[in-house]
Amino acid sequence: MSEQMIIAIGREYGSGGHEIGKQLAERLGVSFYDRNMLDEIAEEMNVDVENLHKYDERPRLPIISRTVRGYSNSPEEIIAEFQFDYIRKKAESGESFVVVGRCAEHVLREYKGLIAVFILGDEAEKNKRIQTVRGVSESDAASIMKRHDKTRKYYHNRHCDTKWGDSRGYDITINSSKLGLEKTVNLLVDYIKIRTGQ
Amino acid sequence: MAAPIVATIIFVVMFILVITEKIEKHYVTLGCGLLTLIFVFGVCLRDFGAIWDTINLEAIVTPGFWHAASGESESGGIDWSTILFLAGMMVMVEGMARVGFFRWLCMRIAKLVRYKTVPIFFAFMCMSFVLAMFIDSITVILFLASITIELARLLKFKPVPMILAEIFCANLGGSATMCGDPPNIIIGTQLGYTFTDFITNTGVIAMISFVFVMGYFYLVMRKDLAGSASESDFAALPSPESAITDKPGFIINTIIFLAAVVLLVTHASTHLTVAFIGVAIAIVSLLTSGKHMLEILKKVDYKTLLFFTGLFVVVSGLEQTGVLEIIAKFIQDISGGNIYLMVGIIIWISAVASAFIDNIPFAATMVPVVKALAAASGMNIDVLAWSLAMGTDVGGSATPIGASANVVGTSAAAKAGHPIGWGTYCKKMVPATLIVLVITTIYICAVYL
Repeated sequence: MSEQMIIAIGREYGSGGHEIGKQLAERLGVSFYDRNMLDEIAEEMNVDVENLHKYDERPRLPIISRTVRGYSNSPEEIIAEFQFDYIRKKAESGESFVVVGRCAEHVLREYKGLIAVFILGDEAEKNKRIQTVRGVSESDAASIMKRHDKTRKYYHNRHCDTKWGDSRGYDITINSSKLGLEKTVNLLVDYIKIRTGQ
Repeated sequence: MAAPIVATIIFVVMFILVITEKIEKHYVTLGCGLLTLIFVFGVCLRDFGAIWDTINLEAIVTPGFWHAASGESESGGIDWSTILFLAGMMVMVEGMARVGFFRWLCMRIAKLVRYKTVPIFFAFMCMSFVLAMFIDSITVILFLASITIELARLLKFKPVPMILAEIFCANLGGSATMCGDPPNIIIGTQLGYTFTDFITNTGVIAMISFVFVMGYFYLVMRKDLAGSASESDFAALPSPESAITDKPGFIINTIIFLAAVVLLVTHASTHLTVAFIGVAIAIVSLLTSGKHMLEILKKVDYKTLLFFTGLFVVVSGLEQTGVLEIIAKFIQDISGGNIYLMVGIIIWISAVASAFIDNIPFAATMVPVVKALAAASGMNIDVLAWSLAMGTDVGGSATPIGASANVVGTSAAAKAGHPIGWGTYCKKMVPATLIVLVITTIYICAVYL
């Protein structure tokens, strides 16, 4: 692959965005980054990864966080910065990859090869998927979905200029409930091929 | 009637905006200060003299501002003594940091105790306590935490407990002197205390507490201090001398620091005010820094100085409209004139408030309250001042956001891959805070009342 290609995927909880990202990476033959990037970060720093996972993709808690001379006491902010630096380094190295979440469409906005995608889904379909994947009841799935989407929204909006899920912040937004995961991946592969001229 | 309401609204809005951090806090206090001048003094009180009094530039040209024996300089409004002193100390500290003083000191002490974890733990607590008596706790913690992380990596021990102990000792050390913690500088300059007054009052309490706190931290953290490094690992440690970036500059800055300590310790007898000491130290630091002058000046934390300036104006609005007298009257009423209760309220309310909100605006607001309370109740103002100083300085240690050192220390730990959540922090620090507050309460009640 000659030109660098970075696929940044934002997603609603339960929409299958993570799975779509994984399949896309496989189909395109590129690396896939999600929370696994913390494993590498922790290994490099020689620290316990579990301590970092606790704060992954979480917004800082406003009232109980403080910044003094540019130093924030919020672990959420610092872990987010670790991840932003990580994907920046990957992008700088010229590597092509798919990255899920981590405000990648904002952090890597300077890169010509960036394709920003947002995956959404119908409420009922997302609920069903959460029930299957996590083995929970319908009402539990609804509350898990609400909680995760709220966290993702706050996290995204804290670090980005654009709003989470707002189509103006992405190159393509797609409802995965309409086509299913496989066809959504197919559609995205086609889109990427057109964009990259392959 | 409108003036106190407007002043209170501006103050509350300022506090909320400072907490939410949506806007940089120096813009918040300066903006709210401007609103106070326009709406409280200009529109509501129609007292344009009060605007001039609050800006308080006249104070700087009075001899008493620079030399305490040359006349009275006590006035309300912007406390230029505090601002100039802080600015001077910032310049000195930047000069010391540039030549590698703090890193050298940390490495030297670690080497002195042969890189043994438990002695390092005690030595760093002592260093944090002593340095914070004279230097701002942010700088102390920035250097101590970074060296602790470096040592922890090489000597294979957990850095978080040690960093937490250093943070606590920095805050406690700051409470011991007039120049150690911003609330003390405000209390000292506004109520006319000297370095000696602080060291013989809050200093004694801090030192007694320090002994107990060291014991407490050792008890709760001893398991985490077991390092597993071998002699060969020590070879990987950089030598203390490698920290020095400019040898002549290092000697000069060390002399300046020692001179500052001497000037501060003796200022009650020399009658040189803290404003004078701050300005003199800054001038000498800059003149001796040669080509690095601009670099040092650029590193001065102007935002904090502007934050203070705006804050003093807003607090002045509350003071001159009588709001703070109402608060003082309220404290007097709920304590029923009982002096023990009054002291208890000042210590514990200050501590609880400082644990969650910035203790600088709190102290700036409480100084006039304490003044009014002493005047109304006939109580010795010194007792209330020491209670306020200890409450605000120590209470700030209880939570990760209570004091600047906590924020900087936990941030440094997190950046090294050791995030410290509220649970971990409070579990270790709240009991230590309670120990010191109980000692303070007992000491003040037993010795002064």
